[in-house]
Amino acid sequence: MSQLGTKKAEVDLPVRTKYEESRRQKTGVFFKKKVGWLFIIVSILAITIFNFYPMVQAFLLSFQSGMGANLEYVGLDNWRRLFGDPTFIAALTNTTIYLLIQVPLMIVLALFFSVLLNDPKLKFKSFFRIAIFLPCVTSLVAYSVVFKYLFGIDGIINQFLLNFGFISQTINFLADPFWAKVVIILAITWRWTGYNMIFYLAALQNVDKSIYEAARIDGASSFQQFFQITVPMLKPIILFTSITSTIGTLQIFDEIVNITNGGPGNATISISQYIYNLSFEYTPDFGYASTVSYVIVILVVILSIIQFRVAGEKK
Amino acid sequence: MKKFNLMFLAAASMATLAACSSGDEEASGGSGSEGSADVDEITAWAWDPAFNIAALENAKEAYNGDGDYEVNVIENAQDDIIQKLNTGLSSGTTNGMPNIVLIEDYRAQSFLQAYPDAFHPLTDVINSDDFADYKIATTSYDGEQYGLPFDSGVAALYVRTDYLEEAGYSVEDVTDITWQEYIEIGKDVKEATGKNMLTLDPNDLAQVRMMIQTNGSWYVEEDGSTPNIAGNETLEAGFETYKEMMDADIAKIVSDWSQFVGAFNSGDVASVPTGNWITPSVKQAADQSGNWAVVPMPRLDMEGAVNASNLGGSSWYVLNVDGKEQAADFLLNTFGSNPDLYQTLVEDIGALGTYSPAAEGDAYAVEDEFFGGQQLITDLSTWTDEIPAVNYGLHTYAIEDILVTGMQDYLNGAELDTVLESVQGQAEAQLK
Repeated sequence: MSQLGTKKAEVDLPVRTKYEESRRQKTGVFFKKKVGWLFIIVSILAITIFNFYPMVQAFLLSFQSGMGANLEYVGLDNWRRLFGDPTFIAALTNTTIYLLIQVPLMIVLALFFSVLLNDPKLKFKSFFRIAIFLPCVTSLVAYSVVFKYLFGIDGIINQFLLNFGFISQTINFLADPFWAKVVIILAITWRWTGYNMIFYLAALQNVDKSIYEAARIDGASSFQQFFQITVPMLKPIILFTSITSTIGTLQIFDEIVNITNGGPGNATISISQYIYNLSFEYTPDFGYASTVSYVIVILVVILSIIQFRVAGEKK
Repeated sequence: MKKFNLMFLAAASMATLAACSSGDEEASGGSGSEGSADVDEITAWAWDPAFNIAALENAKEAYNGDGDYEVNVIENAQDDIIQKLNTGLSSGTTNGMPNIVLIEDYRAQSFLQAYPDAFHPLTDVINSDDFADYKIATTSYDGEQYGLPFDSGVAALYVRTDYLEEAGYSVEDVTDITWQEYIEIGKDVKEATGKNMLTLDPNDLAQVRMMIQTNGSWYVEEDGSTPNIAGNETLEAGFETYKEMMDADIAKIVSDWSQFVGAFNSGDVASVPTGNWITPSVKQAADQSGNWAVVPMPRLDMEGAVNASNLGGSSWYVLNVDGKEQAADFLLNTFGSNPDLYQTLVEDIGALGTYSPAAEGDAYAVEDEFFGGQQLITDLSTWTDEIPAVNYGLHTYAIEDILVTGMQDYLNGAELDTVLESVQGQAEAQLK
């Protein structure tokens, strides 16, 4: 998620193109082309070998099935199996629930924090920024384990709720299908909100202050300023962060495995965890596992097409 | 200059790739290694430094054969071992594969069948009669013995004698009982002491697994692959008993290992029905010394059920790569034939093997003060021999994941027959 994020962000920034233009004037087009090819040939080769080749192989694999090394081609059987597989459907449903609830929640929170932190009158600004961004530097496994203990039956959350009289009996968060999902959503929101906030903060720096000034003179309230100026100005970044978060959530694995391990039952299992289970937890069926992987690929492709459509890229 | 370096890198990666695919063909063509190359170092993988790694180190000391080679013991997490074996064996490359590897019994059949020819048979190397029957069933395939049985997963009921006394029961009252009797005692214990009788983890059906093995039944039929869920009376009884325990409110619900251990270490539960490998964890609470006893596992109230079961346990396997003769030689001269080694294992690391001739040794007869002077190892090893042998087959964990969901439905009030039929249907659809 993070890698994708930085790549995309660079493309969006206008600074890069100006820089390239100035370079073009200084060096000959022919020389630049030659050198340019030399530079990218390495990446092309590396991407072909380490990305495209495995992708093609995985695609072929998705039409095979069998135990371990005894794979054979079964045509579309894996795809048929997919739609009648209750575990896969549970995994897909859960992942969709995470997407639909967590991504909007996080985007709104990140926007909210970034606007607050952008206030020029705010004191200890860098302290708050660091505090909100800090979760992003924690290891996925480490914070998952912490969340698991926070929400354990003897955990601090239960103690707190009990001592302040919010509940009369401890809630077994991780053994309850509903609460387990809530914990997962809380955890990922905590981990990724600061990450998205940084994008908004950066974008907010580029918003011309005079627009706000003019709005204030016209008597616009803070709410009006937020919805009429801030949100429209940040629209491309909001779109970008929602798509990267969507892709990240589609691939969610570490949190699920470490907090609930997919349980109770299959109440929190994600697609990625199911792929892992099919490959390593059960008698391995790498063919069917690749079929499930390709479902993620298809979902990501569909969502990326939507992004390009909505963002209205020119090319 | 830089260009050439990078080109070289690219070319090198191409070459590596080509090497991988050629290895693939070689493996699918037959065995990975024809002819026996003489190697002077073999590698062994296991996962627990306090247990099976320590056992390997002890075995190195105890080796009394005349082979001349080094044994390199490497610790990997169990999940990593499974991943490395799966990825390595399915890609056909034997590079980086160990010579000896420890595999959990529940997973053994899936490895043996998923990668035929990847393991070296030990049929002529060890004497199967020397090991507990139930271990042989899970470590052999297609008439060949592949595994050298290692630790016993014999299950037992660890009880708090002081809590029992408070409720008016003695150790005899919980010895050789059925689960129904256990639940009744549990209710009384809870009334007298306020403590739960046991912990249950709704996401882990280990309890049900132990119950059904007392009657020689499993999730799959004898063939090891046909799901045996709907109409499996033993499993029905297991599910009913599980629900009874939940309904009787004698179970503390936990959701992971540390909560499970924490519950009995802190004195929150009156008994722990589980595998004997829990002994060191029980003993961690030194202040509870003398308050514990170990009795045979309760049985299902059915014709033919016995008070002996199993949970977990693992065995050694030799991979069919260069050095397999040395690896087999090492195993034969240590775990395969050396009763003294098993004495050391019991004394030093508390590991109970399944090698029958070892049971006569002195270390097995030691009285354990923590358990009120009980001859724990002798008892456990007697019960090991009574464990009904079942074929764990290929799909223990796959079926259990479906069963866990079924158990949730059942506990929430669904009809048992409907639940099990639906699990059967799902399992058949998934395990083609």
